Amino acid sequence: MGGVIQGFEAHLLSEGDWIGATEICQLCWLDLGAVMELAELGVVAPREALPGEWQIPATALPRLRVIGRLMRDLGVNVSGAALALELLEAQRELERRIRTLERLASDH
Amino acid sequence: MEFRDYYKVLGVERAAGADQIKAAYRRLARKYHPDVSKEPNAEARFKEMQEAYEVLKDPEKRAAYDQLGANWKAGEQFRPPPDWGSGFEFSGGAGRAGGARRGAGRARWSGAAAQDGGSAEQDFSDFFSSLFGGSSPFAGSAGGAARDHHARVGVDLEEAYRGTTRTLELRRPEVKPDGSVELRTHTVRVTIPPGVTEGQLIRLAGQGAPGAGGARAGDLYLEVHVQPHRLFALEGRDVTLTFPVAPWEAALGASVTVPTLGGPVEMHIPAGAQSGQKLRLRGRGLPGNSPGDQYVQLKVVLPPANSPQAKALYEEMRSKLNFDPRANLRGDTWEG
Repeated sequence: MGGVIQGFEAHLLSEGDWIGATEICQLCWLDLGAVMELAELGVVAPREALPGEWQIPATALPRLRVIGRLMRDLGVNVSGAALALELLEAQRELERRIRTLERLASDH
Repeated sequence: MEFRDYYKVLGVERAAGADQIKAAYRRLARKYHPDVSKEPNAEARFKEMQEAYEVLKDPEKRAAYDQLGANWKAGEQFRPPPDWGSGFEFSGGAGRAGGARRGAGRARWSGAAAQDGGSAEQDFSDFFSSLFGGSSPFAGSAGGAARDHHARVGVDLEEAYRGTTRTLELRRPEVKPDGSVELRTHTVRVTIPPGVTEGQLIRLAGQGAPGAGGARAGDLYLEVHVQPHRLFALEGRDVTLTFPVAPWEAALGASVTVPTLGGPVEMHIPAGAQSGQKLRLRGRGLPGNSPGDQYVQLKVVLPPANSPQAKALYEEMRSKLNFDPRANLRGDTWEG
């Protein structure tokens, strides 16, 4: 095992970062057509930084990566994965609310 | 290393056809996919079945795997036989690295494993690697393009708030003087900045797989997973705390000390507060360009009537307060 490497570039992809559509495709296991379809479905809101050069906000990455994994691993299509994502998010929100209510209802 | 029974993992017979294998994989993937599943150990199970499917869906890999024979049992100690892989077009198992290889594995997360309690996922198993060369970091790098690596790193909420470091072991291929390739492990320490949220990516430039022919190395992407917290519930950058208060604090108002991720703060509960009501501590959630807030959800806790004095107080309240908690239920169908 080699020594500890320190000081290399680490960058948190966050609010304010925009990522090129090609890089998004690599990061999320999607092809460009799928990204455009997701834009049509309203899942992402790309911007055209230069003519023909589309960018996606980095804040969309977590959702797009779930969609990419669902498409790749389960064989669902773009709209199916987008629908599954919305349902999963709704399910998590409901679970969160249930946990909150359970905490309110519990003895301690 | 231990033998892996890929047929057992997918729950199919050794004679199963490609369609049956695909159907079994799809069925299990639907059940154990980490983005969907609530099953315990879903992530580990899913990785196992991905590895099994990687072998059984590929006629060459499957034929080579079948050549090992049907007598092996899952978990038995295993070493590849000396003539392993002869006659098949894939190569690059242990000691055979550098051979032409196709149909390379596509691990979901590859090339990194976290220490320090992190939960980064790893490559396929040593068993797979010994037979098929692992999910080679050269996989998919045709034409000299570098390949990015992805790993998952778990942090607790306090670490997400104040930032932390993780030590990661990265496995990289290195070309030896004789032209063969071996996987070398090296260690990097990653600084995770304050304010990371669930699913956010950290990019480590140049820490992915090297590109062939001197092309620049790919990047390593760490996907952050914020582990559930005992007290705080996280939603985006906001956190919610369920906060118990006494009835008189809620009724009369009170100044209380509230735990936050940044340390305790004083908060005023307005008079007439109700159980379930939320109060906001602005900017006390996860830091960021737009810092999150902390919501304090009040939970009125009744003192037990377990002493003569407590019972007397409750009796006094009953007689003097003229309080009907069910006043708004009176109406058409029910008279309480």
